Amino acid sequence: MTFKADEGWEEPILSMLGRWALTLAVIFALLLLSTFPFKFADFGTIRPSFMLIAVYYWAIMRPQTLSPAATFIVGLAFDLMTGGPLALNALTLLIVQWVTQRQRKFLLGQPFLVMWMGLALVAAGAAALQWALVSLFNLQPVSIRDCIMSALMTAAVFPLVVMPLSAFNKMLADGRSSL
Amino acid sequence: MVSRRPAHSILQSISLRSLTVRATPAVLILLCLTLMAAHRLDLFPVERVRIAMTDTMAPLMSAISEPFVTMSESFDGVKTLRALKAENIRLKAENERLLQWYESALKYQAENKSLKDLLNVKTDPALAFVTTRVVSDPGGAFVKSVLLPVGLQDRIAKGNAVMSGRGLIGRITEAGQRSSRVLLVTDLNSRIPVVVQNTRTKAILAGKNTDLLKLERLPIDSGLSVGQRIVTSGDGGQLPPDIPIGTIVEAGPDGVYVQPLADIGKVSHVQVINADVDQGLMTGEITPLPVKRPKNH
Repeated sequence: MTFKADEGWEEPILSMLGRWALTLAVIFALLLLSTFPFKFADFGTIRPSFMLIAVYYWAIMRPQTLSPAATFIVGLAFDLMTGGPLALNALTLLIVQWVTQRQRKFLLGQPFLVMWMGLALVAAGAAALQWALVSLFNLQPVSIRDCIMSALMTAAVFPLVVMPLSAFNKMLADGRSSL
Repeated sequence: MVSRRPAHSILQSISLRSLTVRATPAVLILLCLTLMAAHRLDLFPVERVRIAMTDTMAPLMSAISEPFVTMSESFDGVKTLRALKAENIRLKAENERLLQWYESALKYQAENKSLKDLLNVKTDPALAFVTTRVVSDPGGAFVKSVLLPVGLQDRIAKGNAVMSGRGLIGRITEAGQRSSRVLLVTDLNSRIPVVVQNTRTKAILAGKNTDLLKLERLPIDSGLSVGQRIVTSGDGGQLPPDIPIGTIVEAGPDGVYVQPLADIGKVSHVQVINADVDQGLMTGEITPLPVKRPKNH
């Protein structure tokens, strides 16, 4: 199974706006999902970063879907809801997007497994970055166990999140030809 | 008709566009770092922006989260027959023990009442509380907090204690009109004045972003041991005294660690104690005891 990207296209401004709104709706749905009080098993409040998956996926498949400005807004909205250091998630997501886009040429057309491994690496990097930033913010090292757990869970749910995202991607591509 | 533009203007616009595209992430990253530094240095009221945001989102989140809570509660309800049997045996044993305690409690209650009457002590007023559901716990790995769908309009205020059925889980740090944020006792920034219940040794209970809490500022040779209960001291006037928090599970050279009584990761309903009473103020009248006259023989 390999992924093929949609390259840029010319399109009327209205459909572009519609697409933009739809994308924002999807990512805000993921944001809400990240804040729900899931209490499965004994994971407590640690849960995967759904938005990181979306940012990673779109940075490879359709970079035009999510602009850095939109990533910033979504990240900041999440930060305002979490109660942590302001702009922590905004910064992490922007860096994830930037790094992934630089590796886009390599990752495009790779088997799914390679993309998955790429995500695991990115999630680990993001967790390490967040750990360092939060420790710096609090002026004392915070527990690293939760960061590792969160990165592992992000990697574990990647296929589950990518499936609907891929369907959404296809829907946008189909919509383009009908518009 | 194809419009023609001079080659250099196209080149200029392309390079300008690509420059903007390239520079945007860097500019935004810098903006993030600036915002983070500003938050750290308290340069603007982040709390107010935050609570405005959660106030707007609270009704939506409350509506959406309900099925999720029900779902996860029913997931918790699914247990094997074997586990149920084991739990039943444990509960029966616990019930036996609790019945014994109940008898003792009745005895102590009567004794306590008669002693209080004797001393004319004004007891703490009964605490008022609001019971509510947790709508979201967005903190994740770094921040241990939960959002509640109650706020100033429900007489919830900053500093109120928040309990699960078993013990203190945190206190309100931000209160909006319709929503409020609870900083859990496990959060890195949580500091609660406490006492060891049986020795009345004072200490500060600090969150470490892990499941266990650490007792700090203990007096030297405090002689604490595993199993002792920790309750709020009421110092500072923010929290009412004697709310149970946890028990000591580790007391060694690395420090004294406390396990919270409440299963903080799984709390779905909480009580916010919103009695606006000065707990430090106690009044009583000193009445002279009747003098016993020696009987004349």
